[in-house]
Amino acid sequence: MASLRSRLLQVAVPLVQSHGFTRQALANSALHLPTPHAEPLSETAVSSLFGEGDVARRTLIEAWLDNARNEMRSSASNNIKDILTTRLQQNEPVLRLLPEAFAVLASSNSLPVLDPRPALSHVAKVADDACRLSGAVETGTSWYTRRASLAAVYTAAELHQLTSPETAYSFLEDLLQKSETLGRSFDEVQLFASYVGNSWAGILRSRGIIS
Amino acid sequence: MLPSLAIRRSIFSPTLRRSLATASRTPLSSDAYTKPVNPNEPAISSTPQDVTPEQREALEAALRIDQAGEVAANYIYMGQMAILSRDRKTKELLQEMKDQEQKHLDVMNKLQAQHDVRPTVLWEVAKVAGFGLGAVTALMGREAAMACTEAVETVIGEHYDDQLKEMDQFSTSHPSIPLLKEVIKEFRDDELEHLDTAVQNYSQRAPAHALLSTVIGGGCKIAIELCRRF
Repeated sequence: MASLRSRLLQVAVPLVQSHGFTRQALANSALHLPTPHAEPLSETAVSSLFGEGDVARRTLIEAWLDNARNEMRSSASNNIKDILTTRLQQNEPVLRLLPEAFAVLASSNSLPVLDPRPALSHVAKVADDACRLSGAVETGTSWYTRRASLAAVYTAAELHQLTSPETAYSFLEDLLQKSETLGRSFDEVQLFASYVGNSWAGILRSRGIIS
Repeated sequence: MLPSLAIRRSIFSPTLRRSLATASRTPLSSDAYTKPVNPNEPAISSTPQDVTPEQREALEAALRIDQAGEVAANYIYMGQMAILSRDRKTKELLQEMKDQEQKHLDVMNKLQAQHDVRPTVLWEVAKVAGFGLGAVTALMGREAAMACTEAVETVIGEHYDDQLKEMDQFSTSHPSIPLLKEVIKEFRDDELEHLDTAVQNYSQRAPAHALLSTVIGGGCKIAIELCRRF
């Protein structure tokens, strides 16, 4: 059962382009199996396989996002800009559907408020995969700061892409450069602070205040 | 005493023999990480995919705790050295132990990247707490510093031992797990050696030794639980 569900999802992902992130795309997936069914899945079947109402749509969106990240992983370069560009390119065919898709992700079942967690986990996963693909080895705090800054850059670039797809790539490049400069100046501030600290320690030591 | 006898005694003195034994050391398990022959070897470059989700979680928690522990250990010795650096003999002793902890940390960093484990959120806390613990115990005197080492290494040694038992249950054919177990065994023995060194350096003569080791040991156990979760 579980494997049939994942196979149907896999087939449904390319159907998004023609049917949108809809239950219809999920229903029609049965027609595109290696051994196709005669007719699309019934509403009940879609509900029992992928969830009631918008839950099914959310399942499809998650599957699409996973698939787009998989495509990103196949990018040969280990340059962070190329990796994120590959991911943005995945958005292009379905760009007009994405605003609604993110809205569906953010609408929660139980509470009548917007839930930011799915969107955050989407960019966090992209940032995490991009870090891993770039082959950079970080430990400690920089593991978190690097992922956070990449997630912020990617979020901004993706939002930019929704309104102005042509300029998104140069915008991404610009942001990456700025975040790098920011990181470097932060390191320089740290270095400078350690110089100041050391010279104060030297003064105090020469006065005999500390040993 | 005859001169020849004196020479003979110095040749066979235990210290000399020990340094010779160290010079011609046998290959260590951690050499796979510190001196890699082939960096693409699966045992040191990939993570097992065939473990159950619970085992995966246990592996991640184990590596996260170990890495945080080595960070803290490094900073404990740094804190102690900041205070006790006046005494050359003590400084050398601490430096030797710190060098070993530094090697452990380097290996743990590589393991973290290899197994794709999130480092602890409490990284900076571990640094500050470690340095503070080292410096405070060192201010209480050389014996108290040794008692701190004794208490910390006891908990860490036990913890490594528990991890080994946990990893024995892992159902995987991936070559990285047997290697990881060997590395942890080596590190456990290193930590227990530090424990012996601390005891030989009169850790048990520290003021309020029992109280000190209970407090520090308890603190270490709390830190382990925190790093498991965060």
